[in-house]
Amino acid sequence: MIDFNIRSRGKALLGEAPRWAPYLIPALVLYSTFMAFPLFDSVRLSFFRAGAVGSREFIGFDNYVRLFAVKENALRYWSAFANTWYFFFVHMAVQNVLGILFAVLLMEKGLRGASFYRTVIFIPATLAVLVVGYLWKLILNPQWGALTLFLKGVSLDFLAEPWLGEPKYALTAVSLVSAWQWVGMPTMMFLAGIQNIPDDMYESAEIAGASKLQSFRYITLPMLRPVLGIVAILTFVGNFNAFDAVFAMENVNGAPLYSTDIMGTFFYRVGIAGQHPVSIPDPGMGAAVATTTFAVLALGAALILKATREDTAGAEPAGRKPK
Amino acid sequence: MKKRFLAVIALGLVLGSTGLFAAGGADAGKAASVEKVALVMGSWRADDVEQMKGLLAEYSKSHPAVSIDFKPTNPPDYNATLRLQLASGSGPDLMYARSYATGAQLFADGYFADVSSVAGLKENFSEGTRAPWTAANGKPFAVPFVAVSHGVYYNMDIFSKLGLSVPATWEEFLGVCAKVKAAGIIPVANSLGDEWDIAEVVFMSIAPNFIGGREGRLAYESGKKAWNDADMAGAFQAMKDLVPFLPDGFQALTYNDSNALFATGKAAMYFDGSWTLGTFKDVPFKWSVFAPPPKAGKKAQVCFHADAGLAMNAATKHPKEAAEFLAWICSKEGAAIAAKYLPTGFYPMIDAPIAIADPHANEMLALNKGRGLDVRLAWPRLMDGDPSGYNLIMYGSIQVMKGIKTPQQAADEMAAGLAKWYKPSM
Repeated sequence: MIDFNIRSRGKALLGEAPRWAPYLIPALVLYSTFMAFPLFDSVRLSFFRAGAVGSREFIGFDNYVRLFAVKENALRYWSAFANTWYFFFVHMAVQNVLGILFAVLLMEKGLRGASFYRTVIFIPATLAVLVVGYLWKLILNPQWGALTLFLKGVSLDFLAEPWLGEPKYALTAVSLVSAWQWVGMPTMMFLAGIQNIPDDMYESAEIAGASKLQSFRYITLPMLRPVLGIVAILTFVGNFNAFDAVFAMENVNGAPLYSTDIMGTFFYRVGIAGQHPVSIPDPGMGAAVATTTFAVLALGAALILKATREDTAGAEPAGRKPK
Repeated sequence: MKKRFLAVIALGLVLGSTGLFAAGGADAGKAASVEKVALVMGSWRADDVEQMKGLLAEYSKSHPAVSIDFKPTNPPDYNATLRLQLASGSGPDLMYARSYATGAQLFADGYFADVSSVAGLKENFSEGTRAPWTAANGKPFAVPFVAVSHGVYYNMDIFSKLGLSVPATWEEFLGVCAKVKAAGIIPVANSLGDEWDIAEVVFMSIAPNFIGGREGRLAYESGKKAWNDADMAGAFQAMKDLVPFLPDGFQALTYNDSNALFATGKAAMYFDGSWTLGTFKDVPFKWSVFAPPPKAGKKAQVCFHADAGLAMNAATKHPKEAAEFLAWICSKEGAAIAAKYLPTGFYPMIDAPIAIADPHANEMLALNKGRGLDVRLAWPRLMDGDPSGYNLIMYGSIQVMKGIKTPQQAADEMAAGLAKWYKPSM
């Protein structure tokens, strides 16, 4: 009754003043104060040099010029950029592929203890990144780490490597640990996605004689594409803003020899902490790094979103095969 | 944090109102409550809270009108946090100041006050001691507080069991390492995982013995010697010499792991600084320190580094009280009292005979006798350019130790890197 009244009144007044507008104010205020304003202020800061006692001097594109034209800076920037893409691809290939796999297995009829596995898979995601980082650092410790002791125990010592200390392994190791921690997130999202796929599609596929693999390939996967898009965006944004995984397991320099230096650690060094031990940060250039990252993120997210929208349109009419 | 903030406001209100109410009545109460000045001291020595609280309480005994609250920051975050605090106007009244470029920059930016008028600074400290906290324009921005020393920790039980004696030269040192290794014990505990320590406590401890200490450093800085000469390459070679004697997986082991390897008796020797003395207080074996040995035929050198000065905030509300504290630290009486509370391995820098209680700290300090002394190689001149001498030394050492570069290549890269910005001068 009450519900009906509000709706009808809302409809009647729609032409004059949008009654719902005031309800947006709290969110709008919070969002603009804590998200939009800092974002634009950070873009603005990238055109300034922060000087003595809070003074700022407008220098145009100088921060960007120094970032990309000075060899040392450009080298570090592009190395961090490339490492971040590698970090992202490992997450896509391991975290998200395992996510789909786990989701499908968890939906499998007749799987005993599904909720137990679901919990186990999700638990790492509830831990603090620093805790997970230190834990794995300890496990991988070449002197007393669990992995090393295990390999020695089964006489496979030659397989024990200082994983976190070799440039050729370190980034993969850190990426895998991060993927291990977050695999629960895509699993849950894919699980929800699969639950939304109508059962009759699988039933008719079964009647038509489709194998498990075929119904996964032609039903589950296409129907999951919108979720896949969202997961990809979240992974992309998360990875380009990642910092703590490397911070916990290596250090802010992206040890060893910058091999795990990603955008997050590079930005932190340039804009916030400065280079040890002098540690004089350059907020202006830091903002320039953040702004370029923002541009990459905005572009990447828009592209993924566009791809996903097309997929959504294609997948909407139930049962139609995607192109 | 918030709670404390509220408490401060509440306290302020209480004090304020006492003053108001007392105005009509008791004069004594008013005087006591209004004049008490509370100062805050910032520091990177989060491990030393107890000692510093004791020191500052001792100060309040002789200066009852002033109380100083010690508020340290996590060491790696100190420089960044302090700068943010100072920039936002919430900086501490007194604070630890890094030596050379890091501190000088805060002075140049107007955050640190000029302390040239502090009584006792000129009289009780030598020019060399004041230099690390003197800006390019000759103005002192902090008073010298504590120095740290570098050395090689060694397990005396292992040494006596294997019949080894303290090596006098680098060549002997490598011989000792080989014998320890043959006995199945890790010779040297150091590692590469954290990166900074290989530059700060290994390379910069060893290097003075290869490049000729302070005179050698000045010769490089003035352009008389090339950064990639045989001596510098020799220092990088020494880093390479260490590799066979480091623990398995040293590439990934961290500073703390190395400390633990020595503390558990798994490693016989460990390059580190005097600030670590306290961490081996309760180990179940006898240990001591020896000076990093020089190459045969060279004079022995010790890296004795000007670590912390005390600076005052240029914008403090209580400049008089803050300056008084600095003057106390610069007085022989004050320094003697302060020394009792200084954490183990932090040596007072004042020109006065001050007794140090800890026997190991004394052993380490005694290594200075008869040896040349200098601060860490990169600190005085090589920090304020890009690439910094510190980074060139750190990455050069790591690359040499991983076999990516030869010692000569590392020295060449150091010279090339510095050539981009460093202008040789006295």
